[in-house]
Amino acid sequence: MSGVIRAVIGYYFLVFMMRIAGRRPGKQLTPVDFILVFFSGGLILTTTVGDDRSLVNALSQIVAICAAHYLLVVLRSRYPSFGRMVDGTPLVLLERGHWRHQVMRTMLIQDADVMASARDQGLENLEQIDYAVLERNGQISIITKESK
Amino acid sequence: MPVTDETRPIEDSVPKINDELAVGSDLEFQQRWEKLETIIWFFLIIFLLLSLAGLFGRGPLAKVTAQAPDGSIRVDYERFERFSTPSVLTVRINPASIRNGQVQLWVSNSLVKPLGNQRVIPQPEKSELSQGGILYSFPASETSASIEFQMQPSAIGKSELKMRVPGNSELSLNVYVMP
Repeated sequence: MSGVIRAVIGYYFLVFMMRIAGRRPGKQLTPVDFILVFFSGGLILTTTVGDDRSLVNALSQIVAICAAHYLLVVLRSRYPSFGRMVDGTPLVLLERGHWRHQVMRTMLIQDADVMASARDQGLENLEQIDYAVLERNGQISIITKESK
Repeated sequence: MPVTDETRPIEDSVPKINDELAVGSDLEFQQRWEKLETIIWFFLIIFLLLSLAGLFGRGPLAKVTAQAPDGSIRVDYERFERFSTPSVLTVRINPASIRNGQVQLWVSNSLVKPLGNQRVIPQPEKSELSQGGILYSFPASETSASIEFQMQPSAIGKSELKMRVPGNSELSLNVYVMP
């Protein structure tokens, strides 16, 4: 199978698996999450490169992956329903002093993760938070009571 | 001539929560997605179990033994091979097929391409092209003979591999090479 096809399959497979494995990229990445990202990347690398270590193969595969990524981004921007499938939607984790347990549980987010984002904004405790939102990029946005 | 860019007024295009915070959350979609994720995980686990079992090569389901109808040869091989991945096919020759300290084995061309034969152990005394395949001659003792073919498939899909000891019945094997 051509290296270009292997690279494109590898790219879309990783996009699919990262979507399924849970949304914890960006600031929420813990060392354990790094293992998932780098280990998966390394494994897919072995099959995409194969025994062809030529510059032509590397350049072709980079162009192919960029094209695959561009297609994904274009489709995501043109069709909001496709965008939801790729990125999900923002989810409210904390609303006016109440946790949304169901969302927290399914998204594998703990109180401590929300508090970590709150500390980033200089907050000292959870009571100061009015809303906490898990964004599509995995970051947790904090809206304070004072900011409203 | 000055270049102008089209503009549009801001609308409430992002749905709000409690009529105050524009989040754009879609809980209904999220719940549907969670159900879909459960189904996808179910299939991924089945895929993983089948992979462990060897349905995609390198496991108990892949390794099989086949025998020619007259028992002249017995072959241990992997019916599910993996593309560009080394494997070994072992042919055991019935002592009755060994004559004058020599045994011959004919194998179809598919052994070389697409199954990618890299090496034959022991080194054949002679190998010649014959009837759409290769006829190997090996020195052998009167008791038993075992020949190993080290392979590295170069094409994906189903391949039919035929082999026989001349004058005896033919053994036909189907090998599936996974991507």
